[in-house]
Amino acid sequence: MNPLFEKIAQYVQKHCSADDYTLQVRISDNHETRFAQNAVTQHIAGATTDIDLEVAFGDKTGGCGVNQSDPASLDFLIKTAEDMAKLNKPDPEFMPSVGAQTLPQANNADPATQNLDPAKMVEIVQSAIAKAKAYGATVSGMTEKHWSERFMATKNGFSGSDAATEFGHSMTIKKDSVETKVSYSAKDFGGFSLDRDFAQLLSQAEALREMKDFDPCKIAVILRPGALEELLWFMGWMMNRRQSDEGFTPFTGQLGQPFFGEKFTWKSTLQRPELIASPFNHEGIASQEIAWVENGVLKNMPVNRYWAKKVNTEPLGIFNVYIPGGEATEEEMMQMVPRGLIINRFWYIRTVDAKAGELTGMTRDGVLYFENGNVKHAVNNLRFNEIPHLATRRILALGPTQLSSAAMSAPTMLIDGFNFVDKTSF
Amino acid sequence: MKYLDLAMDAAAKLGAEYADIRVQKTTDQVIYLHNLSLKNTSNSVLYGYGVRVFKDGAWGFAHSNVFSDDAVQATVKRASEIAALSASVNKDKKLRLAPERGYIAKYETPVRIDSISLPLAEKVELMLEVNRVMLAYDGIRQAVFYLVMHKDEKLFASTLGSRLELNTQWIMPMINAIAVHEGDSQSRSFNEGGCATGWEWIQSLNLTEKAKQVAEEALIKVKADALGPEQRRTLILDPNHLGLTMHESVGHPTELDRVLGWEADYAGISFATPEKLKTYQYGAPIINFVGDNTLDEGLATLGFDDDGVPGQKWYIVKDGILNEYGSTRDTAMEIGLEASRGCNRATYYFDQPINRIPNLYLLPGTKELTPSELIADTEDGVYIQGQGSFSIDQHRLNFQFGGDFFWEIKNGKLARPLKKVIYKSCNPEFWNACDAICDERWWRPFGVINCGKGQPSQSGRMTHGAATARFRNIRVGGSQ
Repeated sequence: MNPLFEKIAQYVQKHCSADDYTLQVRISDNHETRFAQNAVTQHIAGATTDIDLEVAFGDKTGGCGVNQSDPASLDFLIKTAEDMAKLNKPDPEFMPSVGAQTLPQANNADPATQNLDPAKMVEIVQSAIAKAKAYGATVSGMTEKHWSERFMATKNGFSGSDAATEFGHSMTIKKDSVETKVSYSAKDFGGFSLDRDFAQLLSQAEALREMKDFDPCKIAVILRPGALEELLWFMGWMMNRRQSDEGFTPFTGQLGQPFFGEKFTWKSTLQRPELIASPFNHEGIASQEIAWVENGVLKNMPVNRYWAKKVNTEPLGIFNVYIPGGEATEEEMMQMVPRGLIINRFWYIRTVDAKAGELTGMTRDGVLYFENGNVKHAVNNLRFNEIPHLATRRILALGPTQLSSAAMSAPTMLIDGFNFVDKTSF
Repeated sequence: MKYLDLAMDAAAKLGAEYADIRVQKTTDQVIYLHNLSLKNTSNSVLYGYGVRVFKDGAWGFAHSNVFSDDAVQATVKRASEIAALSASVNKDKKLRLAPERGYIAKYETPVRIDSISLPLAEKVELMLEVNRVMLAYDGIRQAVFYLVMHKDEKLFASTLGSRLELNTQWIMPMINAIAVHEGDSQSRSFNEGGCATGWEWIQSLNLTEKAKQVAEEALIKVKADALGPEQRRTLILDPNHLGLTMHESVGHPTELDRVLGWEADYAGISFATPEKLKTYQYGAPIINFVGDNTLDEGLATLGFDDDGVPGQKWYIVKDGILNEYGSTRDTAMEIGLEASRGCNRATYYFDQPINRIPNLYLLPGTKELTPSELIADTEDGVYIQGQGSFSIDQHRLNFQFGGDFFWEIKNGKLARPLKKVIYKSCNPEFWNACDAICDERWWRPFGVINCGKGQPSQSGRMTHGAATARFRNIRVGGSQ
């Protein structure tokens, strides 16, 4: 364990007089190079420390956070949290801190990514810009690396720590009216290839050169993993057990029911080495292999310790997203429906009707129209109003699962009758 | 503080063309009450400094939370090294900084009752009472009170000779109730956003009365009819709602960094490009948007921005025509402006400042007009209060908004409450469709505390404002 964690934990243990406490410490080191229109516009480096303490006297709680670990700061942390708790009112939903847990093994940190030289990152930016210039375009994006280590301890005996790294590189190319994006995000730098990503970017840009006006309608869509990811996060946020039990979400009364399409399965998994999988959540609950939706049946919903106790179930949290795929290629999907759209990405998704589970959002970074099994041309961006869990009932085919970001693997998905309601002028 | 001079001397020795240091201590007190349960009662303090070095047409920014001579010098050195790395990329496209001078000044948010220092029990007791009032209504299943109190203590020094002491604070109360009825659930909120003031604002709000209204309207809403299919209708929008509409469709498109494409990869770009300045009909002639970082109680009223540029007031849209942008020292030069408008702001000490929306508001109408008169003058339409769903494309053209509470207007009267109302429009259609704005008596501010922008993402703050206004021939309808 990081010696800083041990030092802080010992200090809190010695000086905190509360009946109960939960200590969380996170240290991180980050480097971000942001570029736009073929020049670096921002360039940031630094380390941060976050120390949070929540204490309880009986069922009265209080918390404090600081970002320095000297004795004076830790004294302030403890005293402030204790004073807040003493002055507070009782919490009728108070839960004692979690006790010792058996935590799964995690391997979320890659030393090579942690030690990636900033000069190397700038070289990547320089190469991306050189490639864009050679294509007669501008490129904007960010190259970033993050290393973090977190630690949690409670008065009731929980102790856990986890280190993680992440490397990301995104590029949006613009040439004339064509704009499109490719991004890489993973826990290790090793899988990154600028040549591969730039080739993908050029391929997308070339496909978008001829754009025709397209009116919104219900139409089949091939959602690439980046588009699916945006939708799934929003659906995941709505899948809250307490909110559902209290009648606020579309999932009320649906546990154990075939509420989704049977081709749809959604898991959080510890078995995929490419995915970040934190061994415990903010409440100290150990991560475990879990199916949220299995062959269309709603099996589980995220639930915190208080509500889990109230409804006599075990607390669960989403720690990553794994959507098992199939074997269909995009070419095969295009043969399965008379016509449709290929969507690279969605943007600005928001909830329209929380109870219905209805979302709105726009396409971004390229929409392709296909007909009779072939891509015909690009079309303008469109707005959708759609209910994702109902859309899963219209899944026609799944492609192979691939890493979409550090915490999500998803397939390309063919969905019939996706509800587009408006269009924009580009 | 000795570190200010130490940092500026070190930057000069390392060949900085410009450098600044921002020492910032941010205190947040958050109390989150959910159905009488205190889910979060905490104070957090983030204290550190960020150093910017500008060299050879490029920025380097490094930050630290360690206060010692060695640490400050090491941070300056790191920022300088990073600037050199940036400059190695920018050989063909060097950034430039708009001219500015140094200032020695102090600014403090005028506050009568410091909200963070106020005894916790007083705040929690009020919140519990508000929660109890809402939960006493049959059919209200969830009552929330979210209270954020924020304070920034900043010291800023630059190689231009600036030495600034900026102590600002704001407070944000939000209450929300969710009603459940016959398989549906609907929420209603009281949310005026943040206000740069102290606890005296909370005292003036009479939140227990507001809680009754919120609960009653949540119950009305859950039993209301859904609006039928989309059709062209007249919309009347209250100031709170317009705060969000103008934020998305005027504030962001007129941030100069977006106009220049600096946000192309993430937050998006803007349709309001420089060749449109002084000619583009952004809105009807009655539309005047003002950028104003001197606005009383405005969240972007900070004395100076994080470039060390003083707060200013200017027209962004004048008589319906796109007039000017919100700019920073590094964006202003890209379109040949003589000076920055002072819109460069960072959230925490570890954030590099970015081009932000200023306090931006719609000027009220010049003729006497009340919201009641406006409704009486409307034959058929929908009146929207508060904020709901919002989504806009990355060029800031096409958008769809919901709201928090809705009335159908028939023959000049509020005919029946509605739910599940959304409208779709785009720039410049929407602001050109405005045919009436109520007068200054009805002008109200709305303070945004969570404007997400930048990579890594930062949460910006600014205040908007408007009087109730009417828009003709907008596509309005029910959601699915």
